[in-house]
Amino acid sequence: MLSARVCRRNAGRRLVGYANYSVAVERRSNTLNAIVNLPNTTSGTSAKEELNGQATSPGALAGKSIALKDNIVTKDSPTTAASKVLSGYESPFDATVVKLLRQHGASISSKTNLDEFGMGSHSQSSNTGPVFSPFSRNGTPLSPGGSSGGSAVAVATGQCWAALGTDTGGSVRLPAAYTGVVGFKPSYGLLSRWGVIQYANSLDTVGVLAQSVKDARQVFRSLNVFDAQDPTSLPASVRQRLGPRRREPGRKRLRIGVPVEYNIDELSSTVRAAYVRTLDALQVAGHTLHPISLPSTRRALSAYYVLAPAEASSNLAKYDGIRYGYRTAGPDASPKRNSPLYAQTRGEGFGDEVKRRILLGAYTLSSEAIDNYFIQAQKVRRLVQQDFDRVFAQSNPLLDASLSTRSGDGGVDIIITPTAPTLPPTVDEVKRQSPVESYMNDVFTVPASLAGLPAVSLPAPLSEQERSSMEESDVTSVGMQFIGQFGDDETVLEAAELVEQLQP
Amino acid sequence: MSVSRLRYAPLHLSRPSTGHLPATPRYPRACIVAKWLQSRNLTTGHHLAREEAIPLRKHLKDEAKRKKTESKALGGSGVAKNQKIDARLKKWELTVGIEIHAELNTACKLFSNAPAEARGVQHAITPNSRVALFDAAIPGTQPAFQVATLLPALRAAIALGCEVQRTSYWDRKHYFHWDQPNGYQITQYYRPFAKDGLLVLRASDGVPASDLNGAETLAIGIKQIQMEQDTAKTTNLGSSMYHIDLNRAGMPLVEIITLPHIHSPQTAAAVVRKIQSILKAVDACVTGLELGGLRADVNVSVRQRGTDGTRASYSGVGGLGQRTEIKNLSSFKAVEDAIIAERDRQIDLLEGGGVIAGETRGWTLGATETTRLRGKEGEVDYRYMPDADLHPLVIGKDLVEHLRQRLPALPGEVEAELEQSYGLTQKDAKTFLDLDDGDRVDYLEAAVAHTLSKLGKSLGSNEYENQRKVGKLAGNWILHELGGLLATQQRSWADMAVTSQDIGDIVALLHEKQITMRVAKQILADLFERESITETSTVEQLVNAGNLRLRPLTEHEYEELAQGIIDDSPDMVKAVKGKGQKGKIMWFVGQMVRRGEEGTVEPEKAKKVVERLIGSVEVS
Repeated sequence: MLSARVCRRNAGRRLVGYANYSVAVERRSNTLNAIVNLPNTTSGTSAKEELNGQATSPGALAGKSIALKDNIVTKDSPTTAASKVLSGYESPFDATVVKLLRQHGASISSKTNLDEFGMGSHSQSSNTGPVFSPFSRNGTPLSPGGSSGGSAVAVATGQCWAALGTDTGGSVRLPAAYTGVVGFKPSYGLLSRWGVIQYANSLDTVGVLAQSVKDARQVFRSLNVFDAQDPTSLPASVRQRLGPRRREPGRKRLRIGVPVEYNIDELSSTVRAAYVRTLDALQVAGHTLHPISLPSTRRALSAYYVLAPAEASSNLAKYDGIRYGYRTAGPDASPKRNSPLYAQTRGEGFGDEVKRRILLGAYTLSSEAIDNYFIQAQKVRRLVQQDFDRVFAQSNPLLDASLSTRSGDGGVDIIITPTAPTLPPTVDEVKRQSPVESYMNDVFTVPASLAGLPAVSLPAPLSEQERSSMEESDVTSVGMQFIGQFGDDETVLEAAELVEQLQP
Repeated sequence: MSVSRLRYAPLHLSRPSTGHLPATPRYPRACIVAKWLQSRNLTTGHHLAREEAIPLRKHLKDEAKRKKTESKALGGSGVAKNQKIDARLKKWELTVGIEIHAELNTACKLFSNAPAEARGVQHAITPNSRVALFDAAIPGTQPAFQVATLLPALRAAIALGCEVQRTSYWDRKHYFHWDQPNGYQITQYYRPFAKDGLLVLRASDGVPASDLNGAETLAIGIKQIQMEQDTAKTTNLGSSMYHIDLNRAGMPLVEIITLPHIHSPQTAAAVVRKIQSILKAVDACVTGLELGGLRADVNVSVRQRGTDGTRASYSGVGGLGQRTEIKNLSSFKAVEDAIIAERDRQIDLLEGGGVIAGETRGWTLGATETTRLRGKEGEVDYRYMPDADLHPLVIGKDLVEHLRQRLPALPGEVEAELEQSYGLTQKDAKTFLDLDDGDRVDYLEAAVAHTLSKLGKSLGSNEYENQRKVGKLAGNWILHELGGLLATQQRSWADMAVTSQDIGDIVALLHEKQITMRVAKQILADLFERESITETSTVEQLVNAGNLRLRPLTEHEYEELAQGIIDDSPDMVKAVKGKGQKGKIMWFVGQMVRRGEEGTVEPEKAKKVVERLIGSVEVS
């Protein structure tokens, strides 16, 4: 009988084999619709020219092909955020993260599909059509997760070495979990957002999707610098205070937090089993498990779906068809018919989910609703942050030590939870879900977003037994999420890598 | 002469025009577009201002005429009407609060390093040439607060007696309009950077005695000052075409909000005028009278004296009537007239048993009534929200103290200085401050300093009195002699080529009796005719070239001159001697001045000589 490790390796080969096959298919027909456009053929040389001009080292990412979620702007190819309202839009500048990738020698292989403006959990609401997971069930493709579904699928199918996504409430971690890759959302403020098309700017974070934690770390470290053009980029003085410096030197054992609130009814047995296996493995390896309580978890999801749409309604107000992007054919204001300004352009340019969130956000910010919704949600957001600060061994480096709410019992280094409560649904099941049901997918990822914490989703392989009861084409892993204290990104990656190595 | 540079009535909005076609006024129009326009705190009003521009002198003249007519009416046929008005005002009390927007004097925009649109530059700047990516709301861009814009804002706040807040925040104010690319304006709604100021007015600022109530000063509370972005400039071409120039988009503004402490239209205008002069004095705003970047909105309510009105409360001031808001007033006259019209409308309505609706109204210059723009149901919900991209603004006490200590003198202080140290009357001092953005004050100071250094010790040791004496003389020449030339030649102060040194020279020569008044006036007129100050003729050169220096005649020469005229004019001699027409003596003096060499005959001396000589003539 083969050991689990060998099985895993075989499964990996099967996946790679499929990936190779699918790359060929993708290159021809892009059947999974992960790629929205390839850069102009001249882009390779332009990247080199840029390099020559800046005398950088060949770089940590030399020769690596990296795909970009299409809400990160590039000069040499259109950037649409999967929205009709930005159809054909060409940015006059490159995002800071794009410049950094090129400086480190990477080549931008393609722009990847997403939920329009990053609003969605299944990458089904794109102006250029839905993204499909390489996995399927009963002949129906599974959801690749969202909103960085295109980036996740591109990595899973080997169309690129790694990809950048953006994570506002789980948009890197969830697709990583659904497609079996590593998805890392760094602490808010570490990676520059200059050139990232805003969805909810207090939550938006550039993230990395890769085949392994090591690769994700390599991309992250290449991008992890202060950028004066992003006012929320953490300056050097703050960066100096970050990191795992409070852990006693020499202590290798991790104190792992297991939040009781994440053991919800909706948690599928397969996910629960993988979760337990992961925790068991860590305990066997000598790390300690500690039950913790994050009481604001339930309310976090509601708070997120008040705050993110509120910010979206503001950030998307700029799309009026005047300076760039889509504009309706006729006049865009009809005073006689009493139709408001831009109603036509915006009505035609935005998809349903974007309109839903803009309306939701406009309502929660309105003078009669703001106290009950937006203000309350901000309070919940603060409670969520305090929940985390209470359980982590490290105090939050953004707060004065005197304000620390942490209890004196030592605290944990890392929190491990499932990334999503269930296996990915099929795209048909997604279609039948109400918007609120689909928001449920984000229940485990949203708290770290609200608190700005680093979090990574790592694929945890299903057991042989579980695999045998499922179709060959179905997923082979579920996502495990590792959450660390603000700025403690390296510990998060370290813990994930540890588990990666423990996996059969 | 350049007509375009005539001074306009202060507080108006003219900006260098880059539009090509005559544009139509933008409001009021009872359509939804007008609603959008009016719903906006900031509209450009660009074209409006051009039509409203009134030369300052005409404005002052009209004001004087109006006041004269009013006072005449009191004693004349208008008695009944005025008594009726007085009776109404005895019954009803007016309450006004004002919001003023002013553009800060900065090198760059509020949230981008694009250069600020240069005010006062006469040539047009290419539209959309001063626009950073963020100013055009390019996707993926973020604001970058320009800390230097804070300095003029802080100077304004300190000068208006505000408490500068240690921490303030930036909020987004949402509404759709083509002159606002991001779909929101960044402002300070929830936590402004300055609060609780005080504006002190005197009678000389234009506050009526009835508002002063016997006191020397009237204090108006400033609720808050906030920083915010300006909008783009819109030029309306035809019925449905607009050109948008983003050069102004994102320029820094301050919004100054007074408490509803104002109880007359005249005081309201005085408040705006005073705020403008303070902003100018501390160099908070680039714009002067010519290109004023100020704009005012007023809140107006009335209540029966001794009652609580409708028990409405605004900014913590309670017991008021229902208020209405009048937007976009761009001259002092508009502020005053709009308030009068709205007050009268509200009183009419209430006396007729009606109810005031809380609504936004508009006013056009020359109108007799305000017009309804939109009611409560048409209010735009701005959905104020903190801007998560921007850090809180943290202002250290040390910075505030530093600026406070280096704040230039405020208008009230300058006025007192002019009266005390330069011997000017209160009226003249006030005029100095009001004209040409107060430029003439600097001019006076320079002229007096020049005269004093020129005269040196010959003046005596009482420096205080010397400065008062010279100041009074120089003040007179600058205000009245130079002012007269400016008026008759229709020339603007800025175009005028007479330097403060010229005036200083003239005053010094006059004081030393080296030239006569007549010669001095002639020299001033000659200097005034010069095309520019680069022409090098100095006062000294003009005096020398024309041989105009007073060269005292000897007693004998006076007698010779007088005798000649007496001999030539027996009839005039008869008139004096025979008919006793002593006044005719001055005719002889005049003849002597005329016949004598230019600048040689002193009238006083000539008169004595003539009197003596005629006295000795025998009349046949």
